[in-house]
Amino acid sequence: MDGKGKTTALYNRGMNDEAYKVTVAKDLEDLIPAFMRNRNKELETLKLALAAADFEQLRQLGHRMKGVGNSYGFAHVSVLGQGIEDGARSGDRASLESHIAQYGDYLSKVQIAFE
Amino acid sequence: MRILIIDDDVDLRNLLERYIRQQWPESQVDQYDPLDHDIPGASFALGSYDVVILDYMLGRGDGLQWLQEFKRRADCPPILFLTGAGNEIIAVRAMKAGADDYQRKQELTRERLITSVRDLTASTSERTLSPELAARMEGQSLGARMQIPGIKVLHLIGEGGMSRVYLASREGDDEPLVVKILRSEVMSDRNALARFMEEYALVERIQSRHVARIYTHGASEGHAYLVMEFFEGGDLNKRLGGKALPAEEAVRLFRDLMFALGDIHEKGILHRDLKPQNLMFRTDGSLAVVDFGIAKHIDAADRTGHGEILGTPRYMSPEQVQGRALDLRTDIYSAGVLLFQMLTGRHLFDGATAVEVALHHLNTPPPGLPEPLARYQRLLDKLVEKDRDARFRNADEVIGFLSRLYFQAAPATAADKTQKLLH
Repeated sequence: MDGKGKTTALYNRGMNDEAYKVTVAKDLEDLIPAFMRNRNKELETLKLALAAADFEQLRQLGHRMKGVGNSYGFAHVSVLGQGIEDGARSGDRASLESHIAQYGDYLSKVQIAFE
Repeated sequence: MRILIIDDDVDLRNLLERYIRQQWPESQVDQYDPLDHDIPGASFALGSYDVVILDYMLGRGDGLQWLQEFKRRADCPPILFLTGAGNEIIAVRAMKAGADDYQRKQELTRERLITSVRDLTASTSERTLSPELAARMEGQSLGARMQIPGIKVLHLIGEGGMSRVYLASREGDDEPLVVKILRSEVMSDRNALARFMEEYALVERIQSRHVARIYTHGASEGHAYLVMEFFEGGDLNKRLGGKALPAEEAVRLFRDLMFALGDIHEKGILHRDLKPQNLMFRTDGSLAVVDFGIAKHIDAADRTGHGEILGTPRYMSPEQVQGRALDLRTDIYSAGVLLFQMLTGRHLFDGATAVEVALHHLNTPPPGLPEPLARYQRLLDKLVEKDRDARFRNADEVIGFLSRLYFQAAPATAADKTQKLLH
């Protein structure tokens, strides 16, 4: 299975209700509003970059998502980032569209608990 | 303490700063956004920092180039380099370019960051006060002294009861590799050392895509070492993450494990320590078995200190528990225990102590699979039979059973079948 297929499979496998639930350390709670704002801005930038077929920017954004998602406990952000980075590298527009749509869906539904 | 964080992601900078300030409230942390600024010039007081945390991909810049520039400066402090997971060749290049430590960003936890910064900033007196730090420093120092032809040992990445594990690179193409160096305590046990060298000499001859490639072994600085392939995909333990895998994926991985066992057993070798930590994944998703023949030695001197006391008993066959002579079927049983875990996300047997778990393997009937997994019950029953005479006799028998029951519609491809690798 190639990287793109793996990413999609992982995402689909995990996208039950539980996958939208994220637990973040209580002492990071004050960082989360800015984190979420930046992710939503990122989503808009991704859409613009896709419309402009700017694959280099898409690759950079995907890479950044991959790095930051897990660090905050948002594993799916990293998974989708990997998919976007892979899609941008291979110029796979359909895969990029799918991953960006999934990202929008994820951001609109994610539920955050602080422990 | 003063720390500089260079990363193009403000959220990551904020997170790292938070972790550092929580640990060292008096510290001064500065953030540097490479999207707003070029590489710091000569007038930038780099030397006023105790540690620089530097990302690889800086948006507009290349972290490796920045690292090289920094390291040319006389006032360069220790540098912790951040790489993307699955990109170990960058870690190799960073360490060769002088990075003092590296972390995979996706796996960068609070604890790992703090440990790394503490290591990089600890004064000599602190190091002598902390046994843990002293041990790590000793490990780093040993790695730096090792002379392995064609191989550069770069960085200590793990410690086990038998050996220390290092990231290394092959000179010429920077291919990431793993070097395992036997601990001095093991080196002083002549029998243990002889067994280690003998068993790995055998494993080197197994040429299977389902077995970790061992490139060479030898001795340097009075320590035995092995050079083996690096697995960027992590291990099964990480993939499971305490949960079940989809049944099809679990059975596919189990079949790969059977191909591996077929190749291993063909050479007269028993693994004896199959467990999730010993099943590794390459970036293409293929599975490979690691750590042959070490099990019996690790059991005697497990100093990992990571709560792994139950690790081996959880996968032990009844005859192993009894200390009887072992044959191929012991690995078949352990593989069955692994299949149960992959299918259900649970251990076949749990217990408060290693002895309790071991006794379950001897006396307790295995729990049944949940109804949705019932089609795998026959397979599992025949794998984890307590009476080894009623168990599958070897991996080929299991593969035949799998092919008849589960893979008829999708026969094994040529790539699935055991292939011999040309080294």
